[in-house]
Amino acid sequence: MNTAYNFAFFDEGSKREIRRATLKAIAIPGYQVPFASREMPIGRGWGTGGLQLTLSLIGKNDVLKVIDQGSDESVNAVNIKKLVSDTTGVATTDHTTEATLIQSRHRIPEVPLKKNQILILQVPLPEPLRYYEPSESETKKLHAEKEYSGAWLMLFEQIMKYGSMTTGADHPVLVHDRYVMAPSPIPRFDNPKMHESEALILLGAGREKKVYAVPPYTKVVSLDFEDYPFEPESFLDKHCRLCGSTGVFLDELVDEGTNETFYQCNDTSYCIETLNEVEPFGVK
Amino acid sequence: MTLDIVHDLQSVYRKLVDSTSRPGLISDLRKEAALVEEEDQKGCSASLLLLALTLFDQEVSFKVFSKQADSVSKTINQLTYAKPTEAKKADFLLILQDAEKGSLEEAIINAKAGTLKNPHTSAFIFVEVESVTNGEALLLKGPGIHSTELVHLDINENWVESRQEKNKEYPLGIDMIFIDQHHQLLSLPRTTQISRNRVMG
Repeated sequence: MNTAYNFAFFDEGSKREIRRATLKAIAIPGYQVPFASREMPIGRGWGTGGLQLTLSLIGKNDVLKVIDQGSDESVNAVNIKKLVSDTTGVATTDHTTEATLIQSRHRIPEVPLKKNQILILQVPLPEPLRYYEPSESETKKLHAEKEYSGAWLMLFEQIMKYGSMTTGADHPVLVHDRYVMAPSPIPRFDNPKMHESEALILLGAGREKKVYAVPPYTKVVSLDFEDYPFEPESFLDKHCRLCGSTGVFLDELVDEGTNETFYQCNDTSYCIETLNEVEPFGVK
Repeated sequence: MTLDIVHDLQSVYRKLVDSTSRPGLISDLRKEAALVEEEDQKGCSASLLLLALTLFDQEVSFKVFSKQADSVSKTINQLTYAKPTEAKKADFLLILQDAEKGSLEEAIINAKAGTLKNPHTSAFIFVEVESVTNGEALLLKGPGIHSTELVHLDINENWVESRQEKNKEYPLGIDMIFIDQHHQLLSLPRTTQISRNRVMG
Protein backbone atom coordinates (compact mmCIF):
# COMPACT_ATOMS: atom_id res chain seq x y z
CA MET A 1 0.00 0.00 0.00
CA ASN A 2 1.28 3.44 -0.98
CA THR A 3 0.83 5.78 1.98
CA ALA A 4 1.83 8.87 0.01
CA TYR A 5 -1.79 9.03 -1.12
CA ASN A 6 -5.01 9.43 0.84
CA PHE A 7 -6.86 6.23 1.67
CA ALA A 8 -8.81 5.39 -1.50
CA PHE A 9 -6.93 8.11 -3.40
CA PHE A 10 -9.56 10.84 -2.88
CA ASP A 11 -9.63 13.60 -0.33
CA GLU A 12 -12.62 13.36 2.00
CA GLY A 13 -14.41 16.30 0.35
CA SER A 14 -14.47 14.53 -3.01
CA LYS A 15 -15.79 11.37 -1.41
CA ARG A 16 -18.57 13.29 0.35
CA GLU A 17 -19.70 14.85 -2.91
CA ILE A 18 -19.86 11.49 -4.69
CA ARG A 19 -21.56 9.92 -1.66
CA ARG A 20 -24.33 12.53 -1.60
CA ALA A 21 -24.96 12.00 -5.31
CA THR A 22 -24.98 8.22 -4.86
CA LEU A 23 -27.58 8.33 -2.07
CA LYS A 24 -29.86 10.48 -4.24
CA ALA A 25 -29.30 8.06 -7.13
CA ILE A 26 -30.43 5.14 -4.96
CA ALA A 27 -33.50 7.11 -3.86
CA ILE A 28 -34.52 7.81 -7.48
CA PRO A 29 -33.85 4.56 -9.39
CA GLY A 30 -32.70 5.10 -12.97
CA TYR A 31 -32.40 8.89 -12.68
CA GLN A 32 -28.99 10.27 -13.67
CA VAL A 33 -27.65 12.41 -10.84
CA PRO A 34 -24.98 14.89 -11.93
CA PHE A 35 -21.77 14.88 -9.92
CA ALA A 36 -18.46 16.72 -10.07
CA SER A 37 -16.39 13.84 -11.52
CA ARG A 38 -12.85 14.40 -10.34
CA GLU A 39 -9.74 14.16 -12.47
CA MET A 40 -8.39 10.65 -12.13
CA PRO A 41 -4.99 9.16 -12.89
CA ILE A 42 -6.60 7.26 -15.78
CA GLY A 43 -8.17 8.84 -18.85
CA ARG A 44 -11.83 9.84 -18.93
CA GLY A 45 -13.74 7.13 -20.73
CA TRP A 46 -11.53 4.41 -19.25
CA GLY A 47 -13.73 3.63 -16.30
CA THR A 48 -13.35 6.79 -14.22
CA GLY A 49 -17.05 6.86 -13.28
CA GLY A 50 -16.94 3.32 -11.96
CA LEU A 51 -13.59 3.95 -10.31
CA GLN A 52 -14.87 7.03 -8.46
CA LEU A 53 -17.86 5.07 -7.17
CA THR A 54 -15.59 2.23 -6.07
CA LEU A 55 -13.22 4.61 -4.26
CA SER A 56 -16.07 6.42 -2.50
CA LEU A 57 -17.49 3.09 -1.27
CA ILE A 58 -14.45 1.02 -0.43
CA GLY A 59 -13.37 0.27 3.14
CA LYS A 60 -10.58 -1.72 4.72
CA ASN A 61 -12.61 -4.92 4.93
CA ASP A 62 -13.80 -4.97 1.35
CA VAL A 63 -12.72 -7.52 -1.23
CA LEU A 64 -12.53 -6.12 -4.73
CA LYS A 65 -13.06 -7.74 -8.09
CA VAL A 66 -12.63 -5.79 -11.32
CA ILE A 67 -13.62 -7.20 -14.69
CA ASP A 68 -13.38 -5.84 -18.18
CA GLN A 69 -15.80 -7.48 -20.61
CA GLY A 70 -15.82 -10.64 -18.55
CA SER A 71 -12.07 -10.82 -18.04
CA ASP A 72 -10.24 -10.33 -14.75
CA GLU A 73 -6.92 -10.06 -16.50
CA SER A 74 -7.32 -7.45 -19.22
CA VAL A 75 -5.22 -4.28 -19.04
CA ASN A 76 -8.04 -1.99 -17.90
CA ALA A 77 -9.17 -4.33 -15.12
CA VAL A 78 -5.63 -5.00 -13.90
CA ASN A 79 -4.71 -1.32 -13.76
CA ILE A 80 -7.87 -0.27 -11.93
CA LYS A 81 -7.34 -3.11 -9.45
CA LYS A 82 -3.72 -2.01 -8.94
CA LEU A 83 -4.68 1.61 -8.35
CA VAL A 84 -7.37 0.73 -5.82
CA SER A 85 -5.30 -1.83 -3.94
CA ASP A 86 -2.22 0.47 -3.92
CA THR A 87 -4.18 3.29 -2.32
CA THR A 88 -6.32 1.19 0.04
CA GLY A 89 -4.49 -2.05 0.69
CA VAL A 90 -7.68 -4.07 0.23
CA ALA A 91 -7.59 -7.64 -1.01
CA THR A 92 -8.54 -8.36 -4.60
CA THR A 93 -10.05 -11.54 -5.96
CA ASP A 94 -11.08 -13.19 -9.20
CA HIS A 95 -13.83 -15.22 -7.56
CA THR A 96 -17.20 -13.53 -7.93
CA THR A 97 -18.60 -15.08 -4.75
CA GLU A 98 -15.73 -13.78 -2.59
CA ALA A 99 -16.00 -10.15 -3.71
CA THR A 100 -17.94 -7.49 -1.82
CA LEU A 101 -17.40 -4.81 -4.48
CA ILE A 102 -17.40 -5.75 -8.15
CA GLN A 103 -16.46 -3.09 -10.65
CA SER A 104 -17.26 -4.15 -14.16
CA ARG A 105 -16.99 -2.91 -17.69
CA HIS A 106 -19.77 -4.16 -19.93
CA ARG A 107 -20.71 -7.44 -18.20
CA ILE A 108 -22.69 -8.69 -15.23
CA PRO A 109 -20.94 -11.82 -13.89
CA GLU A 110 -22.45 -15.25 -14.61
CA VAL A 111 -22.50 -16.23 -10.94
CA PRO A 112 -25.67 -14.67 -9.48
CA LEU A 113 -24.88 -11.70 -7.24
CA LYS A 114 -25.77 -11.77 -3.56
CA LYS A 115 -27.08 -9.40 -0.94
CA ASN A 116 -23.70 -8.44 0.51
CA GLN A 117 -22.30 -7.40 -2.87
CA ILE A 118 -22.41 -4.14 -4.79
CA LEU A 119 -21.98 -4.17 -8.55
CA ILE A 120 -20.45 -1.01 -10.03
CA LEU A 121 -20.79 -0.63 -13.77
CA GLN A 122 -18.65 1.69 -15.87
CA VAL A 123 -20.75 3.73 -18.26
CA PRO A 124 -19.50 5.50 -21.41
CA LEU A 125 -22.84 7.06 -22.46
CA PRO A 126 -25.38 7.32 -19.64
CA GLU A 127 -28.06 9.06 -21.71
CA PRO A 128 -30.30 6.54 -23.50
CA LEU A 129 -31.97 9.35 -25.48
CA ARG A 130 -28.72 10.90 -26.74
CA TYR A 131 -28.88 8.92 -30.00
CA TYR A 132 -31.72 11.08 -31.24
CA GLU A 133 -31.47 14.18 -29.01
CA PRO A 134 -28.07 15.88 -28.80
CA SER A 135 -29.04 18.55 -26.28
CA GLU A 136 -28.63 17.72 -22.58
CA SER A 137 -31.25 20.25 -21.50
CA GLU A 138 -33.71 18.72 -23.98
CA THR A 139 -33.09 15.15 -22.78
CA LYS A 140 -33.52 16.33 -19.19
CA LYS A 141 -36.87 17.77 -20.22
CA LEU A 142 -37.86 14.52 -21.95
CA HIS A 143 -37.00 12.58 -18.78
CA ALA A 144 -38.91 15.11 -16.66
CA GLU A 145 -42.01 14.68 -18.81
CA LYS A 146 -41.54 10.91 -19.15
CA GLU A 147 -41.66 11.50 -22.89
CA TYR A 148 -40.04 8.37 -24.22
CA SER A 149 -41.72 7.85 -27.58
CA GLY A 150 -38.35 8.59 -29.21
CA ALA A 151 -36.78 5.61 -27.47
CA TRP A 152 -39.45 3.30 -28.84
CA LEU A 153 -39.26 4.97 -32.23
CA MET A 154 -35.53 4.26 -32.33
CA LEU A 155 -36.24 0.55 -31.81
CA PHE A 156 -39.13 0.69 -34.30
CA GLU A 157 -36.82 2.12 -36.97
CA GLN A 158 -34.37 -0.72 -36.39
CA ILE A 159 -37.18 -3.22 -36.90
CA MET A 160 -38.29 -1.45 -40.10
CA LYS A 161 -34.75 -1.43 -41.47
CA TYR A 162 -33.39 -4.78 -40.33
CA GLY A 163 -36.38 -6.86 -39.27
CA SER A 164 -35.41 -6.97 -35.61
CA MET A 165 -34.10 -4.76 -32.81
CA THR A 166 -30.39 -4.41 -33.51
CA THR A 167 -29.12 -3.12 -30.19
CA GLY A 168 -26.11 -5.37 -29.62
CA ALA A 169 -25.46 -3.96 -26.19
CA ASP A 170 -26.87 -1.13 -24.09
CA HIS A 171 -30.48 -2.06 -24.89
CA PRO A 172 -32.53 0.60 -23.04
CA VAL A 173 -34.53 -0.41 -19.99
CA LEU A 174 -37.41 1.13 -18.05
CA VAL A 175 -36.64 1.31 -14.33
CA HIS A 176 -39.36 1.27 -11.65
CA ASP A 177 -41.91 2.23 -14.35
CA ARG A 178 -40.49 5.73 -14.49
CA TYR A 179 -37.07 6.33 -16.07
CA VAL A 180 -35.69 4.96 -19.31
CA MET A 181 -32.10 4.11 -18.49
CA ALA A 182 -28.98 3.01 -20.35
CA PRO A 183 -27.89 -0.20 -18.61
CA SER A 184 -24.29 0.51 -19.81
CA PRO A 185 -23.09 -1.54 -22.80
CA ILE A 186 -23.82 -4.93 -21.24
CA PRO A 187 -25.05 -7.49 -23.78
CA ARG A 188 -28.83 -7.97 -23.98
CA PHE A 189 -28.10 -11.33 -22.34
CA ASP A 190 -27.36 -9.49 -19.06
CA ASN A 191 -30.37 -7.13 -19.08
CA PRO A 192 -32.69 -9.60 -17.29
CA LYS A 193 -30.12 -9.93 -14.48
CA MET A 194 -30.85 -6.31 -13.49
CA HIS A 195 -34.52 -7.06 -12.84
CA GLU A 196 -35.15 -7.74 -9.14
CA SER A 197 -31.41 -8.15 -8.60
CA GLU A 198 -30.34 -9.21 -5.11
CA ALA A 199 -27.36 -6.87 -5.18
CA LEU A 200 -27.34 -3.09 -5.43
CA ILE A 201 -26.21 -1.94 -8.88
CA LEU A 202 -24.50 1.45 -9.20
CA LEU A 203 -23.59 2.98 -12.54
CA GLY A 204 -21.00 5.70 -12.99
CA ALA A 205 -20.12 7.79 -16.03
CA GLY A 206 -16.95 9.79 -15.38
CA ARG A 207 -16.69 11.67 -18.64
CA GLU A 208 -20.40 12.54 -18.68
CA LYS A 209 -20.39 13.26 -14.93
CA LYS A 210 -23.42 11.19 -13.97
CA VAL A 211 -24.15 8.50 -11.42
CA TYR A 212 -27.30 6.41 -11.30
CA ALA A 213 -28.50 3.31 -9.55
CA VAL A 214 -30.73 0.28 -9.61
CA PRO A 215 -31.56 -0.71 -6.01
CA PRO A 216 -32.11 -4.39 -5.23
CA TYR A 217 -35.55 -5.84 -5.98
CA THR A 218 -36.41 -3.11 -8.46
CA LYS A 219 -38.44 -3.62 -11.61
CA VAL A 220 -36.25 -3.31 -14.69
CA VAL A 221 -37.92 -3.99 -18.05
CA SER A 222 -36.11 -3.99 -21.40
CA LEU A 223 -38.00 -1.87 -23.94
CA ASP A 224 -39.81 -3.89 -26.58
CA PHE A 225 -43.05 -4.30 -28.51
CA GLU A 226 -45.88 -6.79 -28.09
CA ASP A 227 -45.21 -8.31 -31.52
CA TYR A 228 -41.44 -7.90 -31.31
CA PRO A 229 -40.57 -9.01 -27.79
CA PHE A 230 -37.15 -8.36 -26.28
CA GLU A 231 -34.83 -11.27 -26.92
CA PRO A 232 -31.45 -11.82 -25.28
CA GLU A 233 -28.67 -13.30 -27.41
CA SER A 234 -29.30 -17.02 -27.83
CA PHE A 235 -26.56 -19.62 -27.56
CA LEU A 236 -28.81 -22.59 -28.26
CA ASP A 237 -26.88 -25.77 -29.15
CA LYS A 238 -23.59 -24.05 -28.33
CA HIS A 239 -21.27 -24.64 -25.42
CA CYS A 240 -17.93 -23.44 -24.10
CA ARG A 241 -15.07 -25.34 -25.72
CA LEU A 242 -13.06 -25.25 -22.49
CA CYS A 243 -15.50 -25.97 -19.69
CA GLY A 244 -18.54 -27.16 -21.62
CA SER A 245 -20.92 -24.67 -19.98
CA THR A 246 -24.21 -23.92 -21.66
CA GLY A 247 -26.64 -21.11 -20.94
CA VAL A 248 -23.88 -18.55 -20.37
CA PHE A 249 -22.70 -15.65 -22.52
CA LEU A 250 -20.24 -17.06 -25.06
CA ASP A 251 -17.62 -15.35 -27.22
CA GLU A 252 -17.48 -16.48 -30.84
CA LEU A 253 -13.93 -17.12 -31.95
CA VAL A 254 -12.81 -17.99 -35.47
CA ASP A 255 -9.58 -19.83 -36.19
CA GLU A 256 -8.41 -18.04 -39.33
CA GLY A 257 -6.19 -20.94 -40.39
CA THR A 258 -8.85 -23.64 -40.42
CA ASN A 259 -11.86 -21.29 -40.62
CA GLU A 260 -13.30 -23.17 -37.70
CA THR A 261 -15.72 -21.36 -35.38
CA PHE A 262 -15.77 -22.15 -31.71
CA TYR A 263 -17.25 -20.69 -28.56
CA GLN A 264 -15.79 -19.85 -25.19
CA CYS A 265 -17.16 -18.41 -21.92
CA ASN A 266 -16.90 -14.64 -21.85
CA ASP A 267 -16.72 -14.62 -18.04
CA THR A 268 -13.21 -16.01 -17.55
CA SER A 269 -13.38 -16.53 -13.79
CA TYR A 270 -16.62 -18.49 -14.16
CA CYS A 271 -14.96 -20.64 -16.83
CA ILE A 272 -11.91 -21.38 -14.65
CA GLU A 273 -14.07 -22.14 -11.61
CA THR A 274 -16.18 -24.57 -13.66
CA LEU A 275 -13.02 -26.23 -15.03
CA ASN A 276 -11.57 -26.58 -11.52
CA GLU A 277 -14.76 -28.24 -10.31
CA VAL A 278 -14.69 -30.77 -13.14
CA GLU A 279 -10.96 -31.46 -13.21
CA PRO A 280 -10.44 -33.73 -10.13
CA PHE A 281 -12.77 -36.32 -11.61
CA GLY A 282 -11.11 -36.13 -15.01
CA VAL A 283 -7.52 -36.45 -13.82
CA LYS A 284 -7.87 -39.38 -11.45
CA MET B 1 -10.12 6.09 20.77
CA THR B 2 -11.37 8.96 18.67
CA LEU B 3 -13.38 8.98 15.51
CA ASP B 4 -11.36 8.33 12.37
CA ILE B 5 -12.87 10.61 9.74
CA VAL B 6 -11.68 8.36 6.93
CA HIS B 7 -12.47 4.83 8.02
CA ASP B 8 -15.26 5.29 10.55
CA LEU B 9 -17.18 7.66 8.27
CA GLN B 10 -16.70 5.23 5.38
CA SER B 11 -18.32 2.60 7.54
CA VAL B 12 -21.22 4.97 8.36
CA TYR B 13 -21.63 5.73 4.67
CA ARG B 14 -21.76 2.05 3.72
CA LYS B 15 -24.45 1.47 6.33
CA LEU B 16 -26.36 4.43 4.87
CA VAL B 17 -26.04 2.89 1.41
CA ASP B 18 -27.22 -0.50 2.72
CA SER B 19 -30.20 0.97 4.56
CA THR B 20 -31.21 3.31 1.72
CA SER B 21 -31.00 0.64 -0.94
CA ARG B 22 -32.94 -1.80 1.30
CA PRO B 23 -35.58 0.23 3.15
CA GLY B 24 -36.54 -1.63 6.31
CA LEU B 25 -32.98 -2.82 6.89
CA ILE B 26 -31.98 -1.27 10.21
CA SER B 27 -28.28 -0.45 10.52
CA ASP B 28 -26.41 -0.32 13.79
CA LEU B 29 -24.18 2.73 14.30
CA ARG B 30 -23.28 1.98 17.94
CA LYS B 31 -19.64 1.23 17.21
CA GLU B 32 -19.02 4.49 15.38
CA ALA B 33 -21.22 6.56 17.71
CA ALA B 34 -19.16 5.45 20.70
CA LEU B 35 -16.16 7.20 19.18
CA VAL B 36 -17.80 10.64 18.92
CA GLU B 37 -16.38 13.03 21.54
CA GLU B 38 -18.80 13.98 24.28
CA GLU B 39 -17.99 17.69 23.98
CA ASP B 40 -18.94 17.75 20.29
CA GLN B 41 -22.46 16.49 20.86
CA LYS B 42 -24.03 19.52 22.60
CA GLY B 43 -27.69 18.61 22.42
CA CYS B 44 -27.58 16.44 19.34
CA SER B 45 -27.10 12.69 19.40
CA ALA B 46 -23.80 11.11 18.44
CA SER B 47 -25.32 9.19 15.56
CA LEU B 48 -26.93 12.28 14.05
CA LEU B 49 -23.59 14.01 14.26
CA LEU B 50 -22.04 11.05 12.46
CA LEU B 51 -24.46 11.53 9.57
CA ALA B 52 -23.59 15.23 9.45
CA LEU B 53 -19.86 14.48 9.42
CA THR B 54 -20.36 11.88 6.68
CA LEU B 55 -22.39 14.04 4.30
CA PHE B 56 -22.07 17.72 5.19
CA ASP B 57 -19.51 20.22 3.96
CA GLN B 58 -19.40 23.82 2.77
CA GLU B 59 -21.44 22.90 -0.31
CA VAL B 60 -24.62 22.03 1.60
CA SER B 61 -27.09 23.81 3.84
CA PHE B 62 -29.13 22.54 6.76
CA LYS B 63 -31.84 23.49 9.24
CA VAL B 64 -32.16 22.20 12.79
CA PHE B 65 -35.50 21.81 14.59
CA SER B 66 -34.83 21.73 18.33
CA LYS B 67 -35.18 23.71 21.53
CA GLN B 68 -31.45 24.27 21.29
CA ALA B 69 -31.45 24.81 17.53
CA ASP B 70 -28.97 27.66 17.69
CA SER B 71 -26.26 25.87 19.59
CA VAL B 72 -26.67 22.64 17.62
CA SER B 73 -26.52 24.59 14.34
CA LYS B 74 -23.40 26.31 15.51
CA THR B 75 -21.74 23.01 16.45
CA ILE B 76 -22.58 21.41 13.10
CA ASN B 77 -21.44 24.51 11.24
CA GLN B 78 -18.14 24.55 13.10
CA LEU B 79 -17.51 20.86 12.56
CA THR B 80 -18.53 20.64 8.90
CA TYR B 81 -18.68 24.21 7.49
CA ALA B 82 -22.21 23.50 6.25
CA LYS B 83 -24.44 26.58 6.28
CA PRO B 84 -27.52 26.87 8.49
CA THR B 85 -30.50 28.20 6.54
CA GLU B 86 -34.30 28.22 6.51
CA ALA B 87 -36.32 25.02 6.03
CA LYS B 88 -37.44 25.83 2.49
CA LYS B 89 -33.89 26.13 1.22
CA ALA B 90 -32.08 23.50 3.28
CA ASP B 91 -30.55 20.38 1.71
CA PHE B 92 -30.80 18.59 5.05
CA LEU B 93 -33.41 19.06 7.77
CA LEU B 94 -32.61 17.75 11.22
CA ILE B 95 -35.48 17.09 13.60
CA LEU B 96 -34.08 16.51 17.07
CA GLN B 97 -35.95 14.69 19.78
CA ASP B 98 -36.60 17.82 21.82
CA ALA B 99 -38.17 19.63 18.85
CA GLU B 100 -41.66 20.96 19.38
CA LYS B 101 -44.52 18.67 18.44
CA GLY B 102 -45.48 19.29 14.84
CA SER B 103 -41.90 20.12 13.78
CA LEU B 104 -41.60 16.99 11.66
CA GLU B 105 -44.81 17.73 9.78
CA GLU B 106 -43.71 21.32 9.33
CA ALA B 107 -40.35 20.15 8.02
CA ILE B 108 -41.98 17.71 5.58
CA ILE B 109 -44.33 20.39 4.24
CA ASN B 110 -41.59 22.98 3.79
CA ALA B 111 -38.75 20.77 2.59
CA LYS B 112 -37.45 21.04 -0.96
CA ALA B 113 -38.98 18.33 -3.15
CA GLY B 114 -36.78 18.96 -6.18
CA THR B 115 -38.05 19.81 -9.65
CA LEU B 116 -39.16 17.46 -12.42
CA LYS B 117 -35.94 18.24 -14.30
CA ASN B 118 -33.78 17.98 -11.20
CA PRO B 119 -35.47 15.73 -8.63
CA HIS B 120 -32.12 15.21 -6.89
CA THR B 121 -32.21 18.80 -5.60
CA SER B 122 -34.65 17.66 -2.92
CA ALA B 123 -34.03 17.58 0.83
CA PHE B 124 -33.03 14.79 3.16
CA ILE B 125 -34.84 14.79 6.51
CA PHE B 126 -33.01 13.25 9.47
CA VAL B 127 -35.25 12.47 12.41
CA GLU B 128 -34.24 11.53 15.95
CA VAL B 129 -36.76 9.14 17.48
CA GLU B 130 -37.06 7.12 20.68
CA SER B 131 -36.72 3.74 19.01
CA VAL B 132 -36.65 2.06 15.61
CA THR B 133 -37.27 -1.67 15.47
CA ASN B 134 -38.45 -4.31 13.05
CA GLY B 135 -41.99 -5.20 13.93
CA GLU B 136 -45.69 -4.55 13.46
CA ALA B 137 -46.90 -1.04 12.73
CA LEU B 138 -45.73 0.20 9.36
CA LEU B 139 -45.72 -1.94 6.26
CA LEU B 140 -43.12 -0.98 3.66
CA LYS B 141 -43.16 -1.74 -0.05
CA GLY B 142 -41.16 -0.54 -3.02
CA PRO B 143 -37.74 -0.78 -4.65
CA GLY B 144 -35.15 -2.45 -2.42
CA ILE B 145 -37.77 -4.52 -0.61
CA HIS B 146 -38.20 -8.17 -1.55
CA SER B 147 -41.91 -8.39 -0.81
CA THR B 148 -42.71 -6.35 2.29
CA GLU B 149 -40.90 -5.13 5.40
CA LEU B 150 -42.35 -4.25 8.79
CA VAL B 151 -40.95 -1.51 10.96
CA HIS B 152 -41.99 0.05 14.21
CA LEU B 153 -41.19 3.67 14.94
CA ASP B 154 -41.71 5.27 18.32
CA ILE B 155 -42.76 8.70 17.23
CA ASN B 156 -45.57 10.92 18.29
CA GLU B 157 -46.33 12.67 15.00
CA ASN B 158 -48.65 12.31 12.09
CA TRP B 159 -45.85 12.11 9.58
CA VAL B 160 -46.88 9.16 7.38
CA GLU B 161 -49.73 11.07 5.76
CA SER B 162 -47.73 14.28 5.36
CA ARG B 163 -44.93 12.33 3.73
CA GLN B 164 -47.35 10.62 1.39
CA GLU B 165 -48.81 13.98 0.40
CA LYS B 166 -45.33 15.41 -0.19
CA ASN B 167 -44.20 12.42 -2.25
CA LYS B 168 -47.35 12.00 -4.33
CA GLU B 169 -45.77 13.32 -7.51
CA TYR B 170 -42.86 10.92 -7.95
CA PRO B 171 -39.96 11.56 -8.76
CA LEU B 172 -40.46 14.68 -6.65
CA GLY B 173 -40.25 14.06 -2.95
CA ILE B 174 -38.17 13.84 0.18
CA ASP B 175 -35.94 11.11 1.54
CA MET B 176 -36.07 10.40 5.26
CA ILE B 177 -33.64 8.86 7.69
CA PHE B 178 -34.67 7.90 11.22
CA ILE B 179 -32.16 7.36 13.94
CA ASP B 180 -32.97 6.23 17.46
CA GLN B 181 -31.49 6.56 20.94
CA HIS B 182 -29.63 3.26 20.51
CA HIS B 183 -28.04 4.47 17.25
CA GLN B 184 -30.20 2.29 15.01
CA LEU B 185 -30.74 3.75 11.55
CA LEU B 186 -33.68 3.34 9.20
CA SER B 187 -33.84 4.96 5.77
CA LEU B 188 -37.05 5.61 3.86
CA PRO B 189 -36.32 6.96 0.38
CA ARG B 190 -39.19 8.54 -1.57
CA THR B 191 -39.86 5.30 -3.46
CA THR B 192 -40.96 3.44 -0.33
CA GLN B 193 -44.71 3.06 0.05
CA ILE B 194 -45.84 3.04 3.67
CA SER B 195 -49.14 1.75 4.95
CA ARG B 196 -50.28 1.38 8.51
CA ASN B 197 -50.49 -2.31 9.19
CA ARG B 198 -53.74 -2.71 11.10
CA VAL B 199 -54.59 -6.02 12.64
CA MET B 200 -57.76 -7.32 11.02
CA GLY B 201 -60.26 -7.89 13.79
